[in-house]
Amino acid sequence: MVPESQAAVVARNETWTGQAATEPYEAGWAREAVIFVRALKASGAAGRAHVELSPDGMNWVAEGTTFPLPTDSNKVTFARVTQFGTWLRIRAELPQGSSVTVVVTIHVKA
Amino acid sequence: MISADDLRRAVQYADPRLSRFDPLPRIICFDDFDRGFCGWTQLVGNYEHTLDAMLPGYAQHTQSMLSTLPAWDFGSHGSADGSYALKVAAKAYKGAQNVSIKRLTFRKRGPIRIEFYFTFKPEANELRLSETDVRSIGFLYDLQTGDKDADAWRVMPHLRFLNALDGQHLQKWQFKRKTTPFRSLGTENKTVTHYHLSPEDWEDIPGGEQRLCYNEIPTKVNWHYGCFDFDLETMQATGFRCNDRVFDLSGYEPIRIQGMRNLWCMLNFAFFVESDTDKRSFLYLDSVCVSGDF
Repeated sequence: MVPESQAAVVARNETWTGQAATEPYEAGWAREAVIFVRALKASGAAGRAHVELSPDGMNWVAEGTTFPLPTDSNKVTFARVTQFGTWLRIRAELPQGSSVTVVVTIHVKA
Repeated sequence: MISADDLRRAVQYADPRLSRFDPLPRIICFDDFDRGFCGWTQLVGNYEHTLDAMLPGYAQHTQSMLSTLPAWDFGSHGSADGSYALKVAAKAYKGAQNVSIKRLTFRKRGPIRIEFYFTFKPEANELRLSETDVRSIGFLYDLQTGDKDADAWRVMPHLRFLNALDGQHLQKWQFKRKTTPFRSLGTENKTVTHYHLSPEDWEDIPGGEQRLCYNEIPTKVNWHYGCFDFDLETMQATGFRCNDRVFDLSGYEPIRIQGMRNLWCMLNFAFFVESDTDKRSFLYLDSVCVSGDF
């Protein structure tokens, strides 16, 4: 068997302003992840995404990786993560007046 | 002289992976989620030109996960015969739904059976029993007749365990025979949509009340067995069992609509979960065995 691999769309056509976060994604079987954010629409200054980990899918802590949110339609930004335990999500922060409509995918591999 | 049927059964009973199932003679798929996702994916809604066209009922869906059922208070629960189960998670608002689907086509219109080991729980974010926080878990087929068949039907048998509604602990099996009116999407006259999982039009299965093993705190689970029989020839349900109970499906009807131009011989299976409070709801599937008589 080849190692397990999965591309999961965890947010689709969601418009983010202010603070936002993706749904908890459980992937304790995976050793590594790449998280992509693709903008379908965007306006205003760039926000930032923060990778977060959790012991239980309910309480979250910053992993330390941050990356910019895309500011033009069809632009893509991403982060690579390893040793993340069981749970992953990204939390987004956007400046006042900015918004971005996103497709977020988490690509995980055993 | 041992009959072929006895031999098949003996081999199946001796195989610990299959011994807990009662499959029909041919196994169409045997999905143990310790082997991965096995082709179960997110049910995405239809759209044309823009994702804004997707009905809200589908737009809320997310990808299912491979889960060890980790609990904050004792750690991973594990599945019925290994570490992993397929997890379908509805979001944290009342009425939220999520669906996991597998898409095949069939070779022969005859009897098919789906068997599954399942459990469900709400997100354990309160130190309370929370037994009425999951609204329902359920199963559906999405089927269509063959392109040369005399009849041209799309048929969607639905079955759900209505655990709770508006905080009432109802615990009963239901079906539905109606979907919403079709709506065209876009401008090319090629794509339509309907919302077959709308909250309306669920009907009780007579004698369909069943108290399942929920356990005593919101993190402990017990696995349950379900088995639903359907005949692709007559497009009628022929049986349903859950654990020790056998239910009367004589009044059961699937959703039946006009055949659609690009779905011939469709054989889709889907499982769904609904939240009854502003808390995530989780359906877990340890394994699914689909078999047929062909």
